[in-house]
Formats: sequence, C-alpha cells, structure tokens
Amino acid sequence: MDAPLIVSAVDVHRRFGQGETAVNALDGVTVGFPKGQFTAIMGPSGSGKSTLMHILAGLDRPTSGSVAVDGVELPELDDRRLTQLRRDKLGFIFQFFNLLPILTAEENITLPMRLAGRKPDPAWLDELIAKVGLADRRKHKPSELSGGQQQRVAVARALLTRPAVVFADEPTGNLDSKASEEVLQLLRGAVDDYGQTVVMVTHDPSAASFADRIVVLKDGKVVSEGPAGDRSQVVDLMREVA
Amino acid sequence: MLAASLKGLSERKLRTALTAFAVVLGVALISGTYILTDTISRTFDGVFTQVTKGIDVSITPRKAFNDTNQGGSPPAFPASVLDRAKAVPGVERAAGGVFDQASVIGKDGDRVGAQSTPNFVASDEPAPFNPFRYVQGRAPSAPDEVAIDRKTVSDEGWKLGDRVKVLGRSAARTYTLVGVAKFGDLNSVAGAGIAVLTLPEAQRVLDKVGRFDSIDVKAAPGVAPAQLAERLRRALPGSVTVRTGTEQARQDSKDVKEGFDFIKVLLLVFAGVALFVGAFMIFNTFSITIAQRTRELSILRTLGASRRQVLWAVVGEALVVGFAASVVGLFAGIGLAPALEALFKAVGAELPSGGTVIEARTVVVSLVVGTLVTLLASVAPAARATRVAPIEGVREGATLAPGRAARLKTPAAIALSLLGVALLLFGVLGGHSGGAALGPIGGGAALLFLGVALVSSKLVKPLSTGIGNPLESAFGVTGQLARENAIRNPGRTAGTSAALMVGLALVIFVTIFAAGLRHSIDQAIGKSVTAPLVVENKDGWSLIPGSTAAAVGRVEGVSGTSSIRLAPGKVAGAGSTDGITGIDPATFSQLFHLEWKKGSDSTARALTDTGALASESWASSHDKHVGDRIVVRTQSGREVPLTITGTYKNNAHSLGDLTVTNPVMERDFAQRQAQYILVGTKPGADVGQVKAQVERVLDARYPTAEIVTKDGFKDTQTKWVNGILSFFYVLLSLAVIVSLLGIVNTLVLAIYERTREIGMIRALGGSRRQVKRIVRYESVITALIGATLGTVLGIFFAIVASRPLASEGFSLSFPVGTLLLLLVLAAVAGMVAAIGPARRAARLDVLKAVAYE
Repeated sequence: MDAPLIVSAVDVHRRFGQGETAVNALDGVTVGFPKGQFTAIMGPSGSGKSTLMHILAGLDRPTSGSVAVDGVELPELDDRRLTQLRRDKLGFIFQFFNLLPILTAEENITLPMRLAGRKPDPAWLDELIAKVGLADRRKHKPSELSGGQQQRVAVARALLTRPAVVFADEPTGNLDSKASEEVLQLLRGAVDDYGQTVVMVTHDPSAASFADRIVVLKDGKVVSEGPAGDRSQVVDLMREVA
Repeated sequence: MLAASLKGLSERKLRTALTAFAVVLGVALISGTYILTDTISRTFDGVFTQVTKGIDVSITPRKAFNDTNQGGSPPAFPASVLDRAKAVPGVERAAGGVFDQASVIGKDGDRVGAQSTPNFVASDEPAPFNPFRYVQGRAPSAPDEVAIDRKTVSDEGWKLGDRVKVLGRSAARTYTLVGVAKFGDLNSVAGAGIAVLTLPEAQRVLDKVGRFDSIDVKAAPGVAPAQLAERLRRALPGSVTVRTGTEQARQDSKDVKEGFDFIKVLLLVFAGVALFVGAFMIFNTFSITIAQRTRELSILRTLGASRRQVLWAVVGEALVVGFAASVVGLFAGIGLAPALEALFKAVGAELPSGGTVIEARTVVVSLVVGTLVTLLASVAPAARATRVAPIEGVREGATLAPGRAARLKTPAAIALSLLGVALLLFGVLGGHSGGAALGPIGGGAALLFLGVALVSSKLVKPLSTGIGNPLESAFGVTGQLARENAIRNPGRTAGTSAALMVGLALVIFVTIFAAGLRHSIDQAIGKSVTAPLVVENKDGWSLIPGSTAAAVGRVEGVSGTSSIRLAPGKVAGAGSTDGITGIDPATFSQLFHLEWKKGSDSTARALTDTGALASESWASSHDKHVGDRIVVRTQSGREVPLTITGTYKNNAHSLGDLTVTNPVMERDFAQRQAQYILVGTKPGADVGQVKAQVERVLDARYPTAEIVTKDGFKDTQTKWVNGILSFFYVLLSLAVIVSLLGIVNTLVLAIYERTREIGMIRALGGSRRQVKRIVRYESVITALIGATLGTVLGIFFAIVASRPLASEGFSLSFPVGTLLLLLVLAAVAGMVAAIGPARRAARLDVLKAVAYE
C-alpha cells in the first residue's frame, strides 16, 4: 500500500436528475489507486461503480469533489483538455463496441496514437501484438475475429500508448470463461511485466480475483477496500458487504 | 398499423422534415409554375376582352404560314381593303390601324424597357375601337405628338410636354408627350414600351403608308357581329382574316399566351428534375430507416403482424409524408410564383400579373404528383421491409438478407442504362422535330440516371479510394475513417451521391453546351465576317432601319457597307426553311467570307433578283442542286420563282437556308430592315476613328443601333448564351439543393447509427474537431462521387446532343476551368451539407455513447 497513488478521488458526489427524483449515484466517495497495481471495482447493480469509473476517466464530471489523474485535477479541465488527457494518459477497454468495424485489428490498435497524431513504436507494437496472440490476425477486420480476439485487440490498443492508467469496464462481461481468462491474464501480465496501472469495473468475482486490490461500492459509498485474494475470498467479501 | 406509421414519423421529425422538403420544393415549382402561367393567361384574357369590347368585327392580315423565325411581322394589307369593307351593308363604322415593332428611346439613349422586350408603335384609333385609356393628357392629334404607356412613362420619369424620340423603320424623330396611356387595365403589355402616334405618322414611322395591320368594324344596329363577319369575309380578299370581336380577343390572347407556353414547359421540366432528384433522396432515406428499424419490424412480425401489415406501415408513412409535403408545396407555390416572375424579370421578360389564379388542375396535379413520387420511391424499401422475418431480426446487429432481386440488380442496371442510351440516341438522332424528341430524350436521360445510380454502388469503392486516399495522406486517420465510412455501405453512398449526380450532370451538360455554342458562334464570326466593323441593334437581335446603311456609308473613311436582312419564307414542295437571308451582292463578298460548297465569291457578285444561294444542309436534305428552280412563298402569300446558283456551308446559322438579293427582300418579302450591316473601311483609315464617327451618326439618327468591332460583334452575338445559362443554373440549383439535403439526411442517419463508434473514438482521445472532420470528409467523398459521375454523364450528354449539330458548324469545347471549378464547388457543397451533421456528431455525449444499460 506504499505505492504512490496515480488516481485519486476525494469526497466525490454525483447526482442525476433534480429535485424529488434526484438520485445520488455517488455519495461522498474517497478512494485512491496505487501506481502499478491492478484494482477491481465491484458492487451490485446500481452501486455506482460504472459512474465512478466514468468520472475517474474523465468521461463524466462529478457534481462535487475532486478527482486527480497522474497529478492533473480533472474537474478543472475543459472538453479539449479532457480529450487530450484521455488520449495521452488513459487507456480504455469496454464491454461492447470496442472496435471500429471499418478498421483492421492493427489499425484499431494504433487508432488512439494516430488520433493523437503520433506514430507507434514499431517494436513495441509488434511485441504487444505478439503478446495478445494476434500476430497472424493483424489485417483482419473485427467481423472476422472471435469475441475473445476482439477483446484482446482492445487490450493491445489500451496498452500501446503506455498510459498512466488503463480503465476496463466489464471487459469480460460478454465473453465465455476461456476467453475471459485469456483477457484477464493479459491485464495481469501488463501489471506484472510492465508495471501498468489497471482499474477494472466488474461484477464477476472470478474476474476480480485477478486483481491486487478490491474496492467495493454500495449505494454510492465505498463499503470495503482491501487486498483481493482468491475467488472464494472475493465471494465471501461480497456476501459480507451485501 | 397507420398509427404505428404516424408515431414513427413524429419520432423522427428532422429526418421526416428533410425528406418532405425534397417533395415540397418540387411540388412548389409545379404549383408555382401553374399559378404564374394561369395568372398571366387570366390577365391577358381579361385585357383582350376589355380592349375589343367596342369592336364587332376585326380584320387582320392572314399569314401565309406560321413561322417561328425573327424578322417576320405579319404583312400589312392595302388601305383599299378599308374602302371595300365600308361598302359592305351593315357596317356602321370602320377604321384602319397599324401596330408593329419600333423603339421608344429612353433617357439613356437606348430603347426603353428590358433588353429582351420589344417596343411597339401603335396608331391612335377612334373612340369605340381604341384599346388605350388615357390616364393623363390625351391622344396624339398632330404628327409630332405621342402618347406612351404608363409603365414606360413612370420608369423614365417623363412628364407631359417632354420630348421623346421614337425610331421606326427610318431615322428617329422627336415627339412631344401629350398623353399617358393604359392598355385596358394594364400599365403595359408584358413590359413592352408602346408609343401611340396619329395614324398617318404611325404609318410613316412603320413604313406602312397606304397599308393597315388591322381594321376594326362596328356593326349597324340590328346586325349581329357573326352575320356581319360572314358578309365581310365574302366581300374581302383572301389575304385578310375576318373575326368577330370576341373571336379576335380569344385569338390575340392565344397568340400572346403561346409566347409564354415555353415558359410553362421549361419550368415544369425543372420541377420534374427536382422531383426526380427528390425521389432518390426519399428512396435512400426509407432504405436506411428500414435497415435501422429491422429490430422493430421483426418484433412487430413476432407479435403477429403480417407481411402486408408491415408493407402498409411503410407505404402508409410514405403516403402521409408525400401528401403532407405536397400540400405544403402547393401553398409554397403561391409564394414561389412571384419569385419565378422576378426571375423572368431579371432575364428581361416582364410578365403581367394581377391576383393569384389557382385552378383545380394546379391543386390536383401538385398533390397527385408529389404523393405519387413519394410513394413510388418508397415501394422498393417497403418491399424489403416485408422480408424481415420474425425473431431473426431481434438479434443484435442483424442485417437483412439480400433478396432475389439483389442478384439481378447489376444486369438490370446495365440493361436500364443501355435502354436509356438507346432512347437518348433515338431522340437526338431520330430526326424528330422539336417537341417529339423531348419525350425520348427526357425518358432516356432518366433511365440512364437510374441505371448509373444502380450500378454506381459498384463504383463507390474505387471512387472512394481514389478520392479518399489523398484525404488520408493529407489528414491522416480522420481521412481514412471518412473513406472507410463511405465504403462500408456502398448502396447508401451510391444512392446519396446519385441525387447530386443528376443535378450536376445537367449543370455540366448546359455548361459544356453553352461553351460549345459560344465557341461555335465565335468561330463562325471569326471565319466569316471579314468586315472590321459591324452595325447591329444594341440588343444584338432586333432589326435596324434599312436606311441606316446609307447613312453609315456616307461617313468619312467607310469604304462600303453590306446589309444582311432576314425574312421567313417557305419553299413549295420542300417544307419550311430556316429563314431567307438578303444580301447586297456587290459588296457582300468583300466583307463576308462564305465557305462555298458549289460556287465562289464571283457567284455571290453575280447573284441576280431571280437567283438564290442555298445552304448545303438544306439543299442536300431537300435534294436541291445548283441549276434547280424553286418557288419561295412569302409571308403575304406571294410566290417568288428563283434559280439556285450556288451552295454554301451555313456555319452556326449565320445565314438562312436560302440567300437572295436585298432588292428581292424588299420587293417580295417587304423586308426593308437589316439584321446587321457589315462596314468596310478605306485602306489607311483608322478603324477607331471611323467607329467613333459612325457612332455619332447613329446616336443622332438611329439610337437603337450601335457599331462594334468584329470582336465586339462576337461578344454581343454570344451574350444571350450567358443569360440563358444563368437562368438554367438558377433552376438547376433547386435540384442540387435537394440532393444536398439528401447528403444531410444520410449523414444524420449514419451518425445516429454510429453513436457508439463516435463515442468510442471520443473516449480514445479523438477530439470534437476530429469527429467533425470524419463526418465532413465523408460528405466530401460522397459529393465528389456524385460530381465525378455527374461530370462523366454531363459530358456524355453534351457529346450526344451536339452530334446532329456538327453539320451546322457546332463544335464542342470543354471549359476545363469551369468544370474543375464545379468539382471544387461540389466538394465545398459537401462540406456545407456536413456542417449540421458534423456539429451533431461532435456534440454527442461521450458517456451516453459508451455507457449501456
């Protein structure tokens, strides 16, 4: 726990709607994510875990509170700067619609770099593509890849820019167990081999067991924070907080 | 199911509005055209009925044949007819009058009114017959007095007592303005300036001394007009037509209206083009929305909706949109009619109008055509909707299986294109006369457009690559994404660009054709006119008094003049001709170079009053040869025997089909006015100085004429081409606007479909500007595909259309600069069309795009 925090949120509130019908999705969340660690954010449906991730990633703005990524205060940034921050410091893996159907696997991987107007380091690109096991699928369109392969393309894309942090939103939600395992191993490997920071939202205890730490949310509040342990420990933890 | 259609419409307001707008524009043009032309007709009917109120019987010259050429005013008849008419029992009063083209000279020294509207001189007529009402002053009573129409007087700011110059068939003369006249209730007739002179003065000015253009008759009490007309018909020679006042009003109105008929046809053609383009847009929009609603339709089918019900849901939507848009278009036409009128005014044709006439026909045609076009365009998408199977479509990302028709699409498209080309060639080369060729040409062009539009989905990929690759090199990933987006759904891109293709093909066709016309006229003048100076009417086409030549000939430094005259004529047994030209044989060859087929310049010099030269194309199509004797019939029914002594190539119609001497023109065709006068200068004389001196003479005595150099002559003879070209551009721009709306619509729909993709691009660090660029470049690619296909088709049309004209010296010239400019404009139009959709895409909430329930 001595590692410096790369992402931190202090007393973050997020309210949707107004007046009587307003919903407090996040109700005073204070949480930190240490550099070079794999953290899973868990919680039941409606606990606010996705909202928290969106705010940490600069995709949504808190109603109040402060969020900092790699030393940059997010709520102060305008849309242009947020876009720049996402492009330079963040990597993303989503559950669905991760890839542009009109681009090849390799083009999808290099898309964020090209949007930033930079050229990827060819050696690093080759290494990543080999690592995600797609060396022979570089020129294939997403429609020609399996779900697991598509998600591995997304992992490679997230890692290519060596971002300060990779946000993964239910990355295995749409995959069978074998493909899920492959993707989670890749994320685990990125943390272990390259010191990559990963924050993953999931409701699956097996997936969470790949993480170093687990943050559990319930009703917009952090109810537990600690080391992950194996699957059964995660299941116990979830039962405990529920 | 109709309820479902209606609900669907209200939920997609923007899309529905854009689709409907295409129909609204086309229908508005239809209803506006009808309203405008009906209003004009009603106005003329009213005016002519009013001005012939005091006339029981009207006697007018009979034209030996109908001609559409210039230079032929109806031949006046001798004044003796009046005496014979007066002798007929039952005639209480009869008076003769003259009325013909002349010029009222305005303050600027030129003819009053617009360049393309003629002026007239009319003789003052006694009380019951007079069509003019004097709102100020009185009728002219002395030879130096004039009354002028109210519009001209107010336009020129004249007051009673002012001095006004009027020019007829001889040198201009100055008159005192003593009256301001209205023609019935109108301030002017179609914007034409009219000067009313006393009868003897009008006859003198119009070179009709001892002759009349009309005789008005009042019947004695108890004698019916029809009965009197019958008696007069029997008593008078065959060279005149006798009508009752009512018949005459109808005839006059019909004559004037016929002049406007081409306007109606022209505008309706453009309305048709706009609707045709609109149909592409409707088809496209319905196709896309049905693809997007596969899930919804599939759920409907799962819940028990039959194929027929699905079909009716879609067709019902089209019906509602089509009908509503047609109603809006019908009313928009009321607003458009004055705009069309203004457009004609801008090109010089002033149309009389009063009130707004909406005939039942206008309402029916507008509503039926608008609704039908929408319905037809939606049939194919509706049929496709019925192929959505229950359950199947509920799956995420399900796409429709291509139907049986899809396999036949390419062969069918090629067959359509070929049929179109065949019809087009049949229309152009089939040797039909004017109107008969329009059907096959229009139909052929429409089929070719459809065929190419269908085939073009196969061309989208190569074209997008060709256009998109430079974009990618220049703009990187945004260019690449735009290109890939354009390719991902070739049918959709093809349909969208096809609409622009139609408008642009026509724009390019008229552009090339106009350039060809200008080029051919330039060349013909360059080759044939050897005179350094030419005298012509300032408007470039009206006739000038014959005596101008003599006045110019007396100017210091002028070596000689040669008048070119023109009159209509018909050759016995050989149909009509393209006009008969009169020349001065002695001087013609010195100032004009004729491209001889048979004969030489000495043949022209030796031309006598019994000889004629013939154009090669006329002679060969009527199997006439040098030495053959022909009989030419003049407008007054006179028959002139002539012998062909030579043949020439008639480049760009600078001469008529037959050429005779000017004495024959004068004696037999009663043509004393010149089309233009070639002016030679003495060796050593300074052309500029001679020109300036001639100018002085013309300004003083022949103010409607001007002297120009050979190059100036080229300019004035091609000026009208530009006028017509801009007129066509304005009307074609409607079709182009509709096609741009089509691009907007497709983009909006595509962006809706790609919400998540755009959100993902934004999440991965794509800026708003980059998202905008992707949309914009896709639009540019789509527009340029349309422009490329349109350019190819436009060039093809121009080549086809120019084939039959090649023998008349028409040569195509490609205005490369203009064509490139049009391509650039198409790209810019693509950018403009993308403004709204791009902004919409850039504003998409990233979170909404990537979050899911």
